[in-house]
Amino acid sequence: MPTIIVLFNDLQRLVGAQLPRNIDDLNEVFFFVKGEVESIDGDELSIEIKDGNRPDLWTVEGLARELRGALGIENGLKEYAVENYSGVEILVDSRLKDIRPYIACSIITNVQLNSESVRELMHLQDKLDLTYGRKRTRTSIGLYNYDLITPPIRYSVAKPLEISFVPLDGVKELSLKEIINTHPKGLEYGHILREKKHWPILLDAKNKILSFPPIINSNDLGRITEGVKDIFVEVTGMGYQTVLNTLMIVTLSLADRGEKILSTKIHYPYDDIINDETPKLKTNNMLLNVSYVNQILGLNLNIQSIIDLLKKSRYDAYQTDRDTITLTIPCYRIDVMHPIDLVEDIAIKYGYNNIEPQWPQLNTFGSLSNLNVESNLARDIMVGLGFQEVLTFSMSNKSNLFKKMNLEERNVVEISNPMTLNYNCLRDWLIPSLMEFLSKNSSVEYPQRIFELDKCYFIDKNKSTGVRERTTLACLCIHSKANFSEMKTILEAFFLNMGKMCKLKEDIFDCFINGRAGAILVDNVNVGFIGEIHPKVLEAWKLENPVIGFEIDLDKIFGK
Amino acid sequence: MAELHQLEKSLLLALKDGKKIRLSKLLKKTKLPYASVARASVWLSSKGYAKIEDIKRSFIQLDSEGKKTRKKGLPERILVEAVLENGGCTLIDTVSTLTKLRKDEINVALGWGRRKGWLTFSRKKGKMFIIVKEKPEKGIDEQLIEQLFKGPITLDSLTSKQLLSFNVLVKRPKLISQNEEVDRFITLTKVGYTIAKQVKEVGDEISQLTPELIKSGKWRDIQFRKYDIKAPVAKIWAGKKQPYLRFLDDIKQKLVSLGFKEMVGSIVEFMFFNCDALYMPQDHPAREIHDIYYIKSPSYGDLSDYTALINNVKATHENGWETNSKGWRYPFSLEATKRLILRSQGTALSARMLVDSKLEIPGKYFSIARCYRPDVIDRTHLTEFNHVEGIVLGADLTFKDLLGILKMFAIETAGADKVRFTPDYFPFTEPSVELSAYTVDSGWLEFGGAGMFRPEVTLPLGIKVPVIAWGLGIDRIFMMKTGISDIRDIFSHDLNWLRSQKVI
Repeated sequence: MPTIIVLFNDLQRLVGAQLPRNIDDLNEVFFFVKGEVESIDGDELSIEIKDGNRPDLWTVEGLARELRGALGIENGLKEYAVENYSGVEILVDSRLKDIRPYIACSIITNVQLNSESVRELMHLQDKLDLTYGRKRTRTSIGLYNYDLITPPIRYSVAKPLEISFVPLDGVKELSLKEIINTHPKGLEYGHILREKKHWPILLDAKNKILSFPPIINSNDLGRITEGVKDIFVEVTGMGYQTVLNTLMIVTLSLADRGEKILSTKIHYPYDDIINDETPKLKTNNMLLNVSYVNQILGLNLNIQSIIDLLKKSRYDAYQTDRDTITLTIPCYRIDVMHPIDLVEDIAIKYGYNNIEPQWPQLNTFGSLSNLNVESNLARDIMVGLGFQEVLTFSMSNKSNLFKKMNLEERNVVEISNPMTLNYNCLRDWLIPSLMEFLSKNSSVEYPQRIFELDKCYFIDKNKSTGVRERTTLACLCIHSKANFSEMKTILEAFFLNMGKMCKLKEDIFDCFINGRAGAILVDNVNVGFIGEIHPKVLEAWKLENPVIGFEIDLDKIFGK
Repeated sequence: MAELHQLEKSLLLALKDGKKIRLSKLLKKTKLPYASVARASVWLSSKGYAKIEDIKRSFIQLDSEGKKTRKKGLPERILVEAVLENGGCTLIDTVSTLTKLRKDEINVALGWGRRKGWLTFSRKKGKMFIIVKEKPEKGIDEQLIEQLFKGPITLDSLTSKQLLSFNVLVKRPKLISQNEEVDRFITLTKVGYTIAKQVKEVGDEISQLTPELIKSGKWRDIQFRKYDIKAPVAKIWAGKKQPYLRFLDDIKQKLVSLGFKEMVGSIVEFMFFNCDALYMPQDHPAREIHDIYYIKSPSYGDLSDYTALINNVKATHENGWETNSKGWRYPFSLEATKRLILRSQGTALSARMLVDSKLEIPGKYFSIARCYRPDVIDRTHLTEFNHVEGIVLGADLTFKDLLGILKMFAIETAGADKVRFTPDYFPFTEPSVELSAYTVDSGWLEFGGAGMFRPEVTLPLGIKVPVIAWGLGIDRIFMMKTGISDIRDIFSHDLNWLRSQKVI
């Protein structure tokens, strides 16, 4: 969830009311915008907005807009509309189709910017690029001094060495390639373009560079300072809808500080998209039934109080029949897909803590899964036999599972994107994890007796997921006189308590000493193995005492 | 009568005639080893039952030269007897040959022989002769030495003549030595005397009760040796469950008692159940490689059993289908639904339960699901962890019930005194809420999240009743209870820590 930084005084000015200074009281206010203050540093508030689908709240202007409604300062819809077409055309190069196909632009006039709001504007741009724009892969924003631009604007492409310009806050002209390879922003976002032959470039009628999307603006045109009045906004990206949404949010934020919104015309050369005019600030209508609201919330609100709560949420709402409310939904509420979204707004404005919790009277019977019941039996027996239960990671690596156990590698379920080589596959047996546990406790008092009961994972083409899980029990003993008969005693005690008879059959395992290991048979089914760990394996785990153990597939015991 | 040790009893019995007894005699009488008698006598003395007297005595005994005189006597006697055998006169130069005495012994023999008047010297023709007239009688000194051959004698037992003789002998080199020795005597005090009369004869005390003693009934005649119950003993470690798993067992029991059925399922999951069915758009950031582990091989599975459901979900994402929603409005990839991953959230199990033929309505379900997310493991992050999640289904469920369930969890599993709800966001629920629980010990703690499944989740899966979905952050409760601050300790590799944890 995004954390945004806003300036307290600016927020207070935009809300138009005194806000409390201490965190607890502020959180009472930010309850309405799913916000929680993380820290206050002088005038700077750091707020976590716990809604991943409301980018409009990730701006100080959007927060203020919502809070004015919630605090009863201003009710109902705030109208935003395009004043007129600016006459600015944007011509899109067809070669962008496979690079970064979409662009949308707007112009906001007479924006009142002081040093504080410039800072907030930069923060907003960064935050939207990072979160909604998925680190600029999905969308990225550019802001420019409109007075310096000569339309029409071309959204075109260039080869890496074809064009040079001075990047924002720079002094020296750099080629696109140099920017990608040396500039901090190039290093951060260069991966988005690196594989492409051509790179996007935005320039005006005089061939002056606006920016090199999505990497960086030019220092000439793409520089917003206090004096700038009219701002040209551009958003490029991979999906048209997200590009339009991003443009809208930036446009509205600037409009809250400016005078007029002017539109631009985009000329696309693609087959599937016609020319378009942006920004799009169209409101939507939705119907909401009073009975639906009360049914979801378990309340008995009348139609008027619902309308009031909706207006506090900056919707326009009026009654259209006995049970129906018709709403106008502001353009920035891209999260509203279903009437249920309106119900949450009503509940938030009503106050979650004003709703009386009730324990539902449902006639249900609780139960543990069979798996759990059976596993618990096995765990209880092992505990009774004096073993300490341990919990280790189910992710492992082939070196632990096989190499250190003196075994040939087997096929295991591997991860495509492991974080480290230590955890890059799922374990198919438990004893290596227990060996690792013992090796980390070699200085702890002996004897040590440990067990673990967990799943093991095997590739199995007959399963829909291609993976079979087995509930497995393993235990190990280590002390200076540990020997095979001790473990056999424990094994027989275990099975006696499970109500089963077990037999051993000689077998060779490279991890065990030859002649001191065997397969465990229950009802003539091979359910596991027992043995004394080979000294070679002990050496690999840096253990200096004999270790004995067994491992059992419990699913086979329980007949699955 | 105060408790008496068996050793004390033995001593009291040996002393009960009231006489003063030397410690060495007591050893014989009690047939006990020296250390036991010495200890017990000190105990008795400290209790005021006996008096210990230490008496210092001087002993005389033969020294190295003295012991040599046993066969032949003192050098002067050897000399005079040799001279007598030689006819009572001999040249002084032949003494060495006659007596086989060392030169220093000869000097001693000549000196003492003359002093005792056993011999005289005579000079003839410039040569010196020794003359012995008769065999001298044994002197007191010789008798004393003979007596000493039998063993040391105390100094004060000597007669005055013997004492004079001793004083002379002791000056001769290495003949006789004098030593001091402390002799311990024990007598009963008056109290001790009374106590001793009450002490019964003691049989043998035993330390181990044996089957033989029990069967034969002999245990009636014997005394059990008292143990020092404060003495240290060897440590053993109880077999026990891993504390975190035990804690999860408790949580499970509580949920079962609240009417919840447990759901279980594979950790290798389809993207469909982990995300698509939960109305998470296919470009949702939580689906990216830094938030979900993808299986390398096999990378795609077979979802053909769910074709109809998948088509509903696809339509819902693209245009809302029959849910009255606008949908996410993007082209939905069927291929992406089959991608195999490690479950990243327990909600995947809830999604599976909704399409399970065993689903009951009304119904309450929970799971404690191992989940996985790519993360660098440190004191606040694990790459695998457990989600406690579940669902509640019922025709008339409302948001009030959701809050009621959360409140019950807070009271039952966290022992909360107060709860607080704040708005939250999950892609699959609306309305969504975060639960904070207050306890006196730890103040406010964010403890869980919940919401009502969106119609875009339930309707495509064929569920027509409200579904409450909830999740609890129980790891923090466990960490609070056990006082651990490092989340890695949940999977602790520290056996000492596991052994020392109290069972909670």
